[in-house]
Amino acid sequence: MKIVIDRPRCEGHGLCEEAAPQLMHLDDDGELVLDREEISDADASLANAAVRVCPVAALRIA
Amino acid sequence: MSTPIKRVVVVGNGIAGLTAADSLRESGFDGELTIVGDEPHPAYSRPALSKALLLDGDDMSSHELPPPTHGANEIRGVRASGLDVERRLVSLEDGTALPYDRLVIATGSRARRLSDLPEELTLRGLDDALTLRGRLAASPSVVVVGGGPLGMEIASGCLAAGCRVTLVSQGTPLIVQLGPYLADVFVKAALDRGLTVVETGGARLEGQAGDARVVLEDGAVLQAGLVISAVGDVPNTDWLADTGMVEKGVLQVDSRGLVRPDIAAVGDPAAFPTPYGRRRIPLWSSAIEQAKVAAAALVRGDEAPPLRFQPYFWTEQFGLSLKAVGYLPVQGEPTYVEGGPGGSSLMRWSHDDGSGTAVALNHRIPIPRLRRLSQGTG
Ligand SMILES: Cc1cc2nc3c(=O)[nH]c(=O)nc-3n(C[C@H](O)[C@H](O)[C@H](O)COP(=O)(O)OP(=O)(O)OC[C@H]3O[C@@H](n4cnc5c(N)ncnc54)[C@H](O)[C@@H]3O)c2cc1C
Ligand code: SF4
Repeated sequence: MKIVIDRPRCEGHGLCEEAAPQLMHLDDDGELVLDREEISDADASLANAAVRVCPVAALRIA
Repeated sequence: MSTPIKRVVVVGNGIAGLTAADSLRESGFDGELTIVGDEPHPAYSRPALSKALLLDGDDMSSHELPPPTHGANEIRGVRASGLDVERRLVSLEDGTALPYDRLVIATGSRARRLSDLPEELTLRGLDDALTLRGRLAASPSVVVVGGGPLGMEIASGCLAAGCRVTLVSQGTPLIVQLGPYLADVFVKAALDRGLTVVETGGARLEGQAGDARVVLEDGAVLQAGLVISAVGDVPNTDWLADTGMVEKGVLQVDSRGLVRPDIAAVGDPAAFPTPYGRRRIPLWSSAIEQAKVAAAALVRGDEAPPLRFQPYFWTEQFGLSLKAVGYLPVQGEPTYVEGGPGGSSLMRWSHDDGSGTAVALNHRIPIPRLRRLSQGTG
């Protein structure tokens, strides 16, 4: 599985980073960077937590 | 509490209920999970209702959340009407009852109203937002009653939709929530964009169906095509009236979100211990953090870590986007960490206890960095 960002929608809240710092971070310009393309089963619940916490639904799992 | 947990019921299908369900699974609960919600919709993002959803042209999806993965039995469009804590039964308005071993109360709150007039619109749920969008299409003149973040966001959305908007506020808008410095920044931006602000004591809504007016403390009357109030929220705890658990409409919980060992209360109706006493913090990330902690505590008891909540607040209105970590309102002038007054900036206020509040204005910044900054270690 993968995490997909809807860029125009992301407002850079970074709540996702807080939920799953292993998987993503905001860079110095506040752009969200996914640190792992492919999400292993072991990280699935982490990925879900990150996706869920985004208040503007800019993330989804594909 | 060593009996195995077979059945968990979550009442309320907002972000707190959804997060609780997810977190129960993550804590290892693999039994029967049921979520009851009285809205017909799957869980959605409420903060989007007063922001992107009011503005976004044809994009009507900014509130949608990804589909849940907790595998719960979801009952939608049905209200829980009562709770028997001795028999561990939740009764539903359709006459059925749900037995549980553990219960999560996540029924959120509803908009406080000033009247029963159908002309008084409020914005709490998706249906309210769709109604409001529909009414804005004709660009009516609008009076918004309530100078808090929600009233200001609604006013901003109505202005952007091309309406003439008057905001009625008790004192300076946002001063109670943000403090004088930041309130001033927002009010200036609002006035620049053409908002009319009327300060008054308590405003009332009068009239009859078809003819509603806002009456100010000094007797002045405001009339408009559309009256929207945003005057606070009322926790949905009526259905728990017979349980003895509700105090002044609120559910008091411990540092793990528990009302009693088998019942958690999370989200808007729960008052939990904070450094500033026990309080409700009816905000998005508060609901999520509370739900995570409480779900773990229901499954693992005292082994589960208590809540260490650091408030995170954001708002978008009148072209300004604010993010704040730490307790609000803030008094006095900030120290500018980056930028300066009038532009994209990063500010910090220090409190007497050594903690701080960090605020980013029109400035994209990772929340962890904002948190470090508020703690003075950034
Ligand atoms: C328009 C708007 C904008 C907001 N903007 C922001 C923001 O920018 N930032 C921020 O941090 N917070 C914001 N908030 C607050 C935030 O959305 C709430 O704190 C959060 O949604 C609370 O989640 P919850 O799950 O506790 O409650 P809710 O989301 O209210 O969910 C509770 C659910 O339970 C249902 N329910 C109630 N009673 C019953 C019953 N008896 N039986 C069954 N179901 C029941 C309700 O219908 C609802 O679906 C905003 C709120 C609103 C209304
Ligand atoms: S939480 Fe959502 S809006 Fe915030 S950075 Fe992550 S994806 Fe973007």
